[in-house]
Amino acid sequence: MIQVQALTKTFHDSKRGAVHAVDHISFEVRSGEIFGLLGPNGAGKTTTLRMLATVMSPSEGTAILNGHDILKEPEAVRSSIGFLSADMGLYLRLSAREVLKFFGELNGMRGAPLGERIEEIFSLLNMSGFGDTKIDSLSTGMRQRVAVARALVHDPPILILDEPASGLDVPTAHVIEEFILKARDSGKAVLFSTHVMEEAEYLCDRIAVIHEGTVKIVGTMEDLRAATGKQRLREIFLALLGIENAARRVHES
Amino acid sequence: MSHSQVLTIYKKEMLDTIRDRRTLISMIAVPLLAIPLLLLVMSRFVSSTEKKAGDEAVTIAVRNVRRLPELLIALSQAGFKLASRDDLEAAIAKKEIAAGVEPVVLPGAGRIEVRVYSDLTRRSSGVADVRIRAALARFKENTMKLRLTELGQPDSVINPFTVKSVNLAPEKKMAGMFWGGMMGYCVVLLMFTGGMYPAIDMTAGEKERRTLEVVLSSPASRGAIILGKVLAATTAVLVTAILAMVSLIVSFRFADFGIQVGKAAGRVPLDATGIALVFVALVPMAVLAASLMVAIALLAKSFKEAQSYLTPLVMASIFPLLVGMLPGLQLTPVLALIPLFNVCQLIKEIFLGEYSHLAFAITMASNIVYAGLAFFAAVRVFSKESVLFRT
Repeated sequence: MIQVQALTKTFHDSKRGAVHAVDHISFEVRSGEIFGLLGPNGAGKTTTLRMLATVMSPSEGTAILNGHDILKEPEAVRSSIGFLSADMGLYLRLSAREVLKFFGELNGMRGAPLGERIEEIFSLLNMSGFGDTKIDSLSTGMRQRVAVARALVHDPPILILDEPASGLDVPTAHVIEEFILKARDSGKAVLFSTHVMEEAEYLCDRIAVIHEGTVKIVGTMEDLRAATGKQRLREIFLALLGIENAARRVHES
Repeated sequence: MSHSQVLTIYKKEMLDTIRDRRTLISMIAVPLLAIPLLLLVMSRFVSSTEKKAGDEAVTIAVRNVRRLPELLIALSQAGFKLASRDDLEAAIAKKEIAAGVEPVVLPGAGRIEVRVYSDLTRRSSGVADVRIRAALARFKENTMKLRLTELGQPDSVINPFTVKSVNLAPEKKMAGMFWGGMMGYCVVLLMFTGGMYPAIDMTAGEKERRTLEVVLSSPASRGAIILGKVLAATTAVLVTAILAMVSLIVSFRFADFGIQVGKAAGRVPLDATGIALVFVALVPMAVLAASLMVAIALLAKSFKEAQSYLTPLVMASIFPLLVGMLPGLQLTPVLALIPLFNVCQLIKEIFLGEYSHLAFAITMASNIVYAGLAFFAAVRVFSKESVLFRT
């Protein structure tokens, strides 16, 4: 469903010169799979997701989403994805219904079918009680459900989630986790970035560890354990980043 | 770019705009409430100051009156209350009297010079000075007539003709000068202040609230998004302009700025064609203002930063508008190329009923070009990743 091919993003910084935020990364995400991009802050996760969502253009390489090339058919790519981040990006002065109507219409939905779809999502996410309340007056948990609903309104085959549960309390994060699992079960390809080990270990079918713009490893938890000889994802992660070895060397010297 | 996406963006921006308190204040409350209130307070202040100055201007004093005793009668007949003060300068400084009068015998010929002492930094003293000189002029004329009669000569010996000025400008044109001079300036300036908050809210505000990235990841093209935003900002600018015009007209009807202003303000010299022309002239100006503000506000990463970018633009817009307020300027084809000034001057000339079709066409054409360039700048800025994802 998602094929990332040598995707690269180079920024030009006046002090540091050319900075490779993302450096020739490649991976695939299949339908009905949860794929995690795991990396520390500044690893290039958000830049990668932004390029896949076509809001940023790559310096080199490309990606195919739902059969559409991000360089050649960016609008078709955007029609195929639902995008969600921890900031939620909600219009606080609008109600959930108005937000869903707005994004539904941008996705070419109109009239009765759109209205029916909104009611369906309201019922799916148990939102009927606050669907017409301005988002400004909603709790964080309710807002997160609105954000999820917005990403789902056009029923996209791909979900791109940028640290969707970052900074959320456990019950609210649980809403997101449930949403991710349900999306996978309904056959969607879910690509999400995180730096939370437990979240990645609990949710992901496969994980790509990304550091300094490059992919260090891609595989299932078993693949990662076999490659590193470590059991827990936290240890695997540190080993892949070379941090554990460096710390040991400092300790032994 | 799909029309329906532009319309969707536009509708959402308008809904978001009318629910924003800051925008409502700048777009609706300022023209509809602040202008009438300001004019009402100003008119009350002006009329009360004038009345106070008029009342105080009545009290004056005369020194050395024995040199010209008839002076007392002349001034009394002119309505002055004569106080008894010898030190005129001190009495004026202490505000005991508004002005002082003193006949002085000039050395040599024995002629009398009547000196009027006043403090022109004081309104009442200035009014007294003018009234005293008018009273003295009448006194002088009557004295001359009397002396000529005593000599058996007619008045025309020294007064061969009288002067009367006749204002050929009809009342409508006078009203046009009053309204035109002010309307363009006020309306165009308010277009900037009224459009500023919506423009910021839908650009830097969206960046700050992290909603922009979500819209960018929707199927709407960047062109559709920016066009929808500029159209919404243009609507805000035009709504402010229309409300400002209506508010100014209604306010002046009810405000009291004295007889002269009241006479001119009482009649708005525009028919349906004139109103349509003013509106048409304002449309490219609105697109220009909206596009410019959207383009500049997009560069900022926060609402506050955008405000600090746009405030100098609003301040800078005052200068060409001020030039447009100058009387006697004509909108020549070359002057019609100067943005802001041209529309301000054109509105003035439409109100005066004196605009030329050529100046109208050049103003419209140049403003359409400027609006196009400003819109192009907004599109360019909106396509820059370094601007959109600036943190």
